[in-house]
Amino acid sequence: MATLPEPIANLIATLAKLPGIGPRSAERLALHLVQTESGAVQQLAEALVRARERIRPCPTCGALTDSEQVPCALCADPRRDATLVCLLERPVDIISIEKSGTYHGKYHVLGGKISPLNGVEPEDLRIAELEERLKHEPITEIVIALGTDVEGDATSSYLAKRLARPGLKITRIAHGLPAGSGLEFADELTLTHALAGRREMD
Amino acid sequence: MHLDHLRLRDFRNYARLDASFAPGFHVLLGDNAQGKTNILEAIYLMATLRSFRGVGGAHMIRQGQKGYFVGGKIVGQGEHEIKMYWSAAERKLSLDAQPVRKLSDYLGVLRVVVFCTEDLQLIKGPARSRRRFIDLLLTQTHPGYLGLLQRYARALRSRNALLKRHSPDEAALDSFSAELVKLGNEIIRFRRELAPKISPLARLAYRRISNDAEELRLEYQPGVKQDFAVELAQSRKRERTYRSTIIGPHRDELQFQLNGRSAAQFGSEGQKRTLALALKMAQAEYLTGLHGSPPILLIDDVMGELDVKRRSGLLPLLERAHHARGQVFMTCTEENWPRELGRDWCRWQVKAGTMHVRG
Repeated sequence: MATLPEPIANLIATLAKLPGIGPRSAERLALHLVQTESGAVQQLAEALVRARERIRPCPTCGALTDSEQVPCALCADPRRDATLVCLLERPVDIISIEKSGTYHGKYHVLGGKISPLNGVEPEDLRIAELEERLKHEPITEIVIALGTDVEGDATSSYLAKRLARPGLKITRIAHGLPAGSGLEFADELTLTHALAGRREMD
Repeated sequence: MHLDHLRLRDFRNYARLDASFAPGFHVLLGDNAQGKTNILEAIYLMATLRSFRGVGGAHMIRQGQKGYFVGGKIVGQGEHEIKMYWSAAERKLSLDAQPVRKLSDYLGVLRVVVFCTEDLQLIKGPARSRRRFIDLLLTQTHPGYLGLLQRYARALRSRNALLKRHSPDEAALDSFSAELVKLGNEIIRFRRELAPKISPLARLAYRRISNDAEELRLEYQPGVKQDFAVELAQSRKRERTYRSTIIGPHRDELQFQLNGRSAAQFGSEGQKRTLALALKMAQAEYLTGLHGSPPILLIDDVMGELDVKRRSGLLPLLERAHHARGQVFMTCTEENWPRELGRDWCRWQVKAGTMHVRG
């Protein structure tokens, strides 16, 4: 590393901070970039800055949106079921649910989960925003879709209590066996949940 | 099940070691500080991912080196290859050339029971060491138990973090209490079911080792008396003073009684040693009964401390291991190796980080 010019070393260090980029990939990317035609690098830099400047969380649901489109495309879409809201931890979780293609309600991103060990309290989450939405939107059901670790479970039960009000149904997505796999691959905890959440066959 | 091959690199005082073992008895002979116990430690490490000496990974690296490697071939129902590497920067664990993603898939491939001087802590030490005894036994026999323990520990630490605040958010506290109760009740159920299974085995082992007529009893004393949720709610006032969770399975106790009296309080030194040995024998018997094959026994210099009478109490266990083609590793110094225990030994000479078969 000592032989690399300072700007390259600096670029490597900056790239290595990105998620999924280790020191080796950072080095490869940096060496590629400094040898690329400068117009292309200029374009990349501008794309980065522009994307960062224009992307905001939607003030309503918390999904990432273009600052010129407020509220976001998901909130504005009249074909989506406005009575149903799916509650998620992070904006990227929306993409996972959208990929399934079976959900047509709206979303609300919490921005985390209650985690005393990381200093995240309920006030740090977008719960008040959701309560505001409950006052103005015709919501009749909230689907909680948080992770199933200790914090996810605790946050879900916290929300179920805090959001409870007459005429509002609060549900949590089922957790159980992964599709297409046999029982022998499931751990005990998953099986316990799957058994507890069993359903009568139609 | 037996350990067919052991490979060490920069582990404790071994720069490199490759040794193959047949089923049966292996006596590791040598003077003090030559590396006898380190062999047992490496085998125990592969089975439990901990040192029975209670130290972290850094202590097990050979002086001046970056990291250690421990590998082994286990032959039981099928063959398994374990490889582990530990350094300050990197930890690797693989089973049959696949990285281990979930510990519950890994633990149980190699089952061991260790007999060592630290066992006395089971009786003399804090309740924590007795909970660890139960927990280790349950993780060796129930695949889901480790995950449960880890979730409980996380819920507990989260809840304690909330209690440390000046004015804890009561609703958030309630939600973590619910988690704690749900997981805690599961743990209590596991432990409660285990105690009566171990108790008769320990009583039998105790009677076999000592000629005393005392009656040994194991009593599981849960911190929760009846209803975890109710008792946790009742403890809120005291929690405010202590600023931590004061009720739950993390406060459980396992009490050993001799003729109805606490062995820790009233037992003699000799009784405590016998008791420690009996508990370990019960552990080995329990694992044998459950899995149909005995675990590998690692016996670290306890023979030196035991008189001939108590030693002979171990005999049936060792003989059973022999019949079932199990494996026993025992460290001894030259003068105290138990010649009375048999003749079919494989004797190893351990000297300054090397190990050789001795005729």
